Amino acid sequence: MTVRDTDPTLIDADELARQRRRRVEKIASWVLPAAVILLALFLWHWTVVANEIPHYILPGPGLVGEALVANAATLFDSWVITIQTTALALLAAVAGGVGLAVLFNQSRFAEMAFYPFAVILQVTPVVAVAPLILIYVTDLDLGLFVIPEKVLGMLIVAWIVAFFPILSNSTLGLRSADHNLRDLFSIYGATRWQRLRYLQIPAALPYFLGGLRIAGGLSLIGAVVAEFVAGTGGMGSGLAFRILEANYRLKTDLAFAALILIALTGVLIFALLSFLSHALLHKWHESAVKREV
Amino acid sequence: MPPGLRLTGRLDLAPADGPALPPLSLTAPAGRWTCLLGPSGVGKSTILRLLAGLPTGVGFEGEAGGDDRRPLAGRVAWMAQSDLLLPWLSVTENVMLGARLRRQRPDRARAREMIEAVGLGPHAAKTPSELSGGMRQRAALARLLMEDRPVALLDEPFGALDVRTRAEMQALAFRVLAGRTVLLVTHDAHEAARLGHRILLLTEAGLAEVEPPEGEPIRDPAGPAVLAAQARLTRRLLEPDA
Repeated sequence: MTVRDTDPTLIDADELARQRRRRVEKIASWVLPAAVILLALFLWHWTVVANEIPHYILPGPGLVGEALVANAATLFDSWVITIQTTALALLAAVAGGVGLAVLFNQSRFAEMAFYPFAVILQVTPVVAVAPLILIYVTDLDLGLFVIPEKVLGMLIVAWIVAFFPILSNSTLGLRSADHNLRDLFSIYGATRWQRLRYLQIPAALPYFLGGLRIAGGLSLIGAVVAEFVAGTGGMGSGLAFRILEANYRLKTDLAFAALILIALTGVLIFALLSFLSHALLHKWHESAVKREV
Repeated sequence: MPPGLRLTGRLDLAPADGPALPPLSLTAPAGRWTCLLGPSGVGKSTILRLLAGLPTGVGFEGEAGGDDRRPLAGRVAWMAQSDLLLPWLSVTENVMLGARLRRQRPDRARAREMIEAVGLGPHAAKTPSELSGGMRQRAALARLLMEDRPVALLDEPFGALDVRTRAEMQALAFRVLAGRTVLLVTHDAHEAARLGHRILLLTEAGLAEVEPPEGEPIRDPAGPAVLAAQARLTRRLLEPDA
């Protein structure tokens, strides 16, 4: 090994190989997913053509593309509505999840009392209870503005789906601060609040961001489920309502177009939250620090 | 004048197995380096934690604190094998952590000075993940200096460093901590022989004082006095009952 390492010509060859590998990896990270998607589209198209499947059962990718373009304006309006519900639900999930995690961390008794309740909410099939929730809620008057009952119901449904990963990850994160650092804070005479503010919350940030990435996708799913149940009205008709409507009218291509928009939105949310995570952590956390080797 | 340290009492490490440690009486003279040498798991760190007023999770009956009978809280600085730096703060911010926790305006000029003193000047804005192990311990040392407390409790702070970096860090720490009461816990006989004004050996048989090598610390790490003392201490670590 020692002999090999000190031979300059071989180091050059190794270095060249490494550079080449890095270049190949960089290209592959774009080309591979694109190729797989193209292949999937082709298989889809081929299946439809080869089996002569009628377009109201399974439209080909070309037809779906046409529907996407032809209904761009309506779909965009619906997309805005779905995104609004998703964003509000995610905000509420962050507030609720982080708030509860801090409460649980500060009070063992609160955790004992309420954590099982949080798990119950998480495992309750939201599709089953969503119609009931939409019946139970009424308009909520906040003084400055009124949240209409339908919007409130949809938010609650999406929140139930999305808040748990944030709660469970943040709870774990707040507990995971290094014990040696806790000792240091004790020696500095830090108060409970200071320990939370300067040690536990920053230490929990990577965990929270991991939960947030999961919750981002879940709040979209929650919003779509809520729209399915709520139908039209309230904030208007979101993408899920477009799917329902298109199915009733056997316009399966339009349903697929809306479905693809939802999937793309999910990818977009994930990418945005990953970017946020990287921006906040890249300076210090193991998961984001660039290593030489 | 800094206070000396005193710990007397009975330590109940593991009541279930083995004979209990005999009652301890440990003192560390003011303004000097006392090295507490011993194998792992014998209770060295526990003694340090008792003196620092940290929770230990073991039974202790007795007294631990300063020899002036005033509480040590607020007069103790702490350094451990892990650097204890907050990974999300820069070196400068880490050095000023104490002031931040006391809600004081941090003295940037002084922080700068301390960082220069440990030779980290060009790295003041970096985060710990960008530094090597030795540099992180330098940053921890700069913070300890920034706090300017009369007592320093060091729990194997150089244990994870390579020989040369360790020797450099020992010399640096010895220089900048001059005049303070230092209690250094270590399992490295060489380190104790090099740094101790006073060397205490803690084994399963109890606490014993060992004659330090001749000459004032800090001693030549490769000199005959230190190496002979290292051999003597190693023998006693290997055969605690002899």
